[in-house]
Amino acid sequence: MTRTNLNRFGTLIAFVLLCIGFSIAAPAAFASPANVFNLVQQMATLAIVATAATLVMTISEFDLSVGFSASLAAVICFVLFGQGYDVWLAVPAALLVGIIGGAANGVLVARFGIPSFVATLALGTILSGFAFGLSGGQSLFQSVPDGFKSLARGDVFGIPVLGFWIVAVLGVAAFVLTQTEFGRRLRAIGGNAQAARLAGLPIVRDVIVTFAIAGGLSALAGLLLASRLGSVQHTMGEPLLLPAYAAVFIGTTASPTGAPTVAGTLLGVAITGVMVNGMTIVGVEPFVQKIMTGVIILVAVLLRRVGRAK
Amino acid sequence: MLDLSGISRRFGATHALEDVSLALSEGEVLGLVGPNGAGKSTLIKIIAGADRPDAGEIRIDGSLTQFHSAHDAYAAGIRVIHQDAPLVPGFDTVENCYLGRAYPRRFGRIDRKAMRAAIAEVAADIAPELDLDLPVMFLPPAERQFVRLLRAVADKGRLLILDEPTAALPAEDAERFYDVLRRTRQRGTSIILVSHRLDEIADFCGRAVVIRDGRIVARFAEGEVKPEAMIAAMGGSASERSNRATDTSAPKIIEIDGVTAGDLTRPARLDVHAGEVIALYGLAGSGRSSLLNAIWGAIPWVGKMRLAGADYAPRSPRQAIARGVSCVPADRHRSGLFVNEDLVFNKTLPLLSGYRRLRGLPVPDVKAEEAEFVVAAERVSLSYRDPKQLARTLSGGNQQKLIFSRWANRHSKVMLLDEPTEGVDVMAKATIKDIIRAIAADGNAVLVSTSDRDEALELGDRIAVFRQGGIVKVFTRAEASAEALSAAAQSREAA
Repeated sequence: MTRTNLNRFGTLIAFVLLCIGFSIAAPAAFASPANVFNLVQQMATLAIVATAATLVMTISEFDLSVGFSASLAAVICFVLFGQGYDVWLAVPAALLVGIIGGAANGVLVARFGIPSFVATLALGTILSGFAFGLSGGQSLFQSVPDGFKSLARGDVFGIPVLGFWIVAVLGVAAFVLTQTEFGRRLRAIGGNAQAARLAGLPIVRDVIVTFAIAGGLSALAGLLLASRLGSVQHTMGEPLLLPAYAAVFIGTTASPTGAPTVAGTLLGVAITGVMVNGMTIVGVEPFVQKIMTGVIILVAVLLRRVGRAK
Repeated sequence: MLDLSGISRRFGATHALEDVSLALSEGEVLGLVGPNGAGKSTLIKIIAGADRPDAGEIRIDGSLTQFHSAHDAYAAGIRVIHQDAPLVPGFDTVENCYLGRAYPRRFGRIDRKAMRAAIAEVAADIAPELDLDLPVMFLPPAERQFVRLLRAVADKGRLLILDEPTAALPAEDAERFYDVLRRTRQRGTSIILVSHRLDEIADFCGRAVVIRDGRIVARFAEGEVKPEAMIAAMGGSASERSNRATDTSAPKIIEIDGVTAGDLTRPARLDVHAGEVIALYGLAGSGRSSLLNAIWGAIPWVGKMRLAGADYAPRSPRQAIARGVSCVPADRHRSGLFVNEDLVFNKTLPLLSGYRRLRGLPVPDVKAEEAEFVVAAERVSLSYRDPKQLARTLSGGNQQKLIFSRWANRHSKVMLLDEPTEGVDVMAKATIKDIIRAIAADGNAVLVSTSDRDEALELGDRIAVFRQGGIVKVFTRAEASAEALSAAAQSREAA
């Protein structure tokens, strides 16, 4: 195998080896249909948040508010349920809040030139304040409408519903990024914003739209998480932030130019997901799992560097 | 202190320097003048130890010296000061002057007092009004130049080589800079000054040499350094010139009436006819690029423009494109290319919606894109291996042609070109000039902004000369000459 191919497929090979390793170590538990089902469910919300991060990283920006948006959307949805509103109103309202929050990020970045790291951190903190206030700081468990439960629970023909969400969301995102004019423009903005502007691209609009989509996707992930768990806390989305970016970074090691791609991100989500799941089954202590996950990210990125330096 | 004799340097078949000899004594100032590509930068590199001559001798204080690296030359007291040499913005002058030097220590701790005293001593001599304790980010650009100078002198610099030190400074600040430089010379420091601003050379330098095609073609002794004489010495090889006269009966495509924008501070008036190439010639910052950027809608502007007889007020490049204006911006790496994307991506991006598979659906037809790329590449004689190769893998000249190819399959009314042959080898230069002429022959109005006088003469049916934020004169084919252009672009008094 040539070095380029090793670069390109190295991450994928690592993933396959990881799966084979756990299958040998715990054949009954790891490779069982029940565990795979479980794994897909665990990965879904992270995959969607990581897709949001991928879109934003395509334009060479960061969105640190993804986890906060997810929490706020879930809280809003449950508060509306508590007031007796129907699923058909509560869910779109929660998604809309995510989109508006994302668009606000985009305006701060594209119109006012605030570095996205700062803008999204500040706005995300504001969103988390709203989530805290609306929830009263407590877990919300009121009776959830059946329609909402079915968003993320159960299966169709033995495939978990959340698996369909992964396919739908990531499929559309991948199509948009690779096949459409909008996706081309995002890659251009991320590659060289100055050149993109001088080539006549509508940069301000595209950046705002990208952040709005990221906000909407984060809100969707929050709702799916709430649906699966059946309860909501105002901080529930926050632990998604770092693993989402970890997944994107692992994913960039699978692309020839180091650009983020949806397929790479899915691979990153799968690698981190399988690591945690497999290590838990094998009985690795949680603190060791964390250390191992960090090491994996570093190793992936370092190998990539070494490969590219040649 | 410095004595060069018989220095030669060749790159392949080209003689970058041929038998160059010059000497410089303590406290003396030498002007180094020549057109772009004459060999000035190679000479500077050799003196600074960054490049080695193929033949010739370098003597410092009379003893034969060989620099094996820039470090050796530094140890000998030679300092090259680039106008954009980086300073740490949050550090003050004293700290910036100590970057890369050993800090004075007292009880193992950095002795700030001693540092400040050492710098203040030199500063009192050459730039007494400079605030040493203010972070340099708060200093105006002229003062930052003083800091660079101070850093070089304070660290035992004996020979300063200044490359276009005032290019980014307005006239008043340039005066102040030369005051500081004068005081530096009085300390016994030797200076080599490289500048396109010939009046500054004449004012400041005791002696000057003119270098052209790698040779010293003229030496001016004390009292002989005059701009006219230097221009005459530089003029040299008359390049092949366009012999077409402007067809004033052709319709005016673009009319610029009282436009100011960016560096262009004095309202500009200019009409360009169909089929005409107008060269915009002037130094960097003289306003010629700003005029192009205004027409491209890339920077805010005021005034009035008309395009093909209708009002034209672009607020973004997007609007300019929609009206049939095309542009190849300056500095292709920063402003043109997407180096990590393939050639087709780079070619089709600005007009991407023209490649839709189904009308109204914003999904480009990759096959159609590639087919058009192949046609366009042929038209600009782009040499490439594969339409899918990354843009970074092309040579500089081919990268520039790639940007030209963006507009190759449409009829633009106006073509804007900013430094189109910058950093491009001789062969590619010739092709690009042919492409430019072909674009004009198609009935387009072409505006070429350039800092290369020969290129302006070669391409322009008319030549608008810019100086200090405005058009000073528009030359017709018949009136234009190398001497006249340089005089108009560089003389201090208004033409």
